[in-house]
Amino acid sequence: MTKNPLIICFFLLAFFLVISSCSDDQCNLDTDTILNTEILVKDATLVSSKFLDSLSIYSPEWTDSIHNSGSSSVNYYLFLSPFSDTSTFILTSQSMLDTVNLFYKRKLVLLSQECGFVTHFTIDSFNFTTNNIDSIFILEDEITTDNDGHIQIYF
Amino acid sequence: MMAIYKYIFSLVTFFILVTPLFSQDTEPEKEPWKITGIKAGMDIGRFSSYLFKPEQTSYAGSIDIGFNNKYYAVFEYGYSEINLEKDTYNYYSNGTFWKVGLDYNMLKKYPTDFLGVGFRFAQTSFEHFADDITISYGHWGNYTTSTPVVSHNAIWLEASLGVKGELFKNVYFGWSALIKVRVNGGKDSVFQPYDIPGFGNAANTINLGANYFIYYQIPFNRK
Repeated sequence: MTKNPLIICFFLLAFFLVISSCSDDQCNLDTDTILNTEILVKDATLVSSKFLDSLSIYSPEWTDSIHNSGSSSVNYYLFLSPFSDTSTFILTSQSMLDTVNLFYKRKLVLLSQECGFVTHFTIDSFNFTTNNIDSIFILEDEITTDNDGHIQIYF
Repeated sequence: MMAIYKYIFSLVTFFILVTPLFSQDTEPEKEPWKITGIKAGMDIGRFSSYLFKPEQTSYAGSIDIGFNNKYYAVFEYGYSEINLEKDTYNYYSNGTFWKVGLDYNMLKKYPTDFLGVGFRFAQTSFEHFADDITISYGHWGNYTTSTPVVSHNAIWLEASLGVKGELFKNVYFGWSALIKVRVNGGKDSVFQPYDIPGFGNAANTINLGANYFIYYQIPFNRK
């Protein structure tokens, strides 16, 4: 009846070799999509009043804010809003206040099976109030998990 | 499409060149062509996914028609479904696939059994989507969303080396080791499919695999 027992043994061996493979279920990739926001104060009055020391950034949609932890730190690492194509940030120091609006496109990307989804952003345009802000430059408009966005805000 | 024709031409050329190497006689036999068997098969290897890949449900069957116990025209058809529940998203896909090709039997001593090579041209159509996607965004809080349903097609070629033995009267058991080379489709830089039905891991261009089939030989033209 069974003419080739060798075939059966070969079959069983191959079966167990194939099903014994396994995979790592941990996410080992960076999942943050960050906008590096560089603050530069050139106005002599603001420099002398230590404007940067008490600078805070928040959004009307946040429940908290980000404070500058020291005068040497001029970079804020912000997330854009995943809920809409616009993020509004308010920069305030010593009762002075400016608003920056960033307009962008969003793209939902499956980073990997282990890490799940992330949102990538492309900044299209911006506007801002000029109470203290002098100018804004976008140095990198693509924000992905591999590539931080970068803007400079000059006071 | 040119790439597809190039792959098909390469494979056909390969088999035309390689087939004589497996001949065991110096004199080719002048046998008239006749159908020596028709087998209906079911892929039982896919049932292992209940244990080892529980997010996948798949079924596949095949029909092969043997000519002179040497050449087999093969048609396979299957269905695959993924229901993957992760911490930060749920993923669903389903689709069907078919394969058509030829097997060549190198056995002469036991002509009703099989030890040989084969190749297949395969195609799938499937769709996938994800929901309950939750992403944490610092001060913005958690963002929950879903994707639209996205459809894909994919084409690949397979080469196989396999064995098939008659365990009981008209009942065969067999397996084959496969190498699958994707020719076209099934890629998406934004929403990469988790699995291509019949092909496997969508992140790879080349997948290795194995088939485990049980066959019933229709008692036709058989002594």
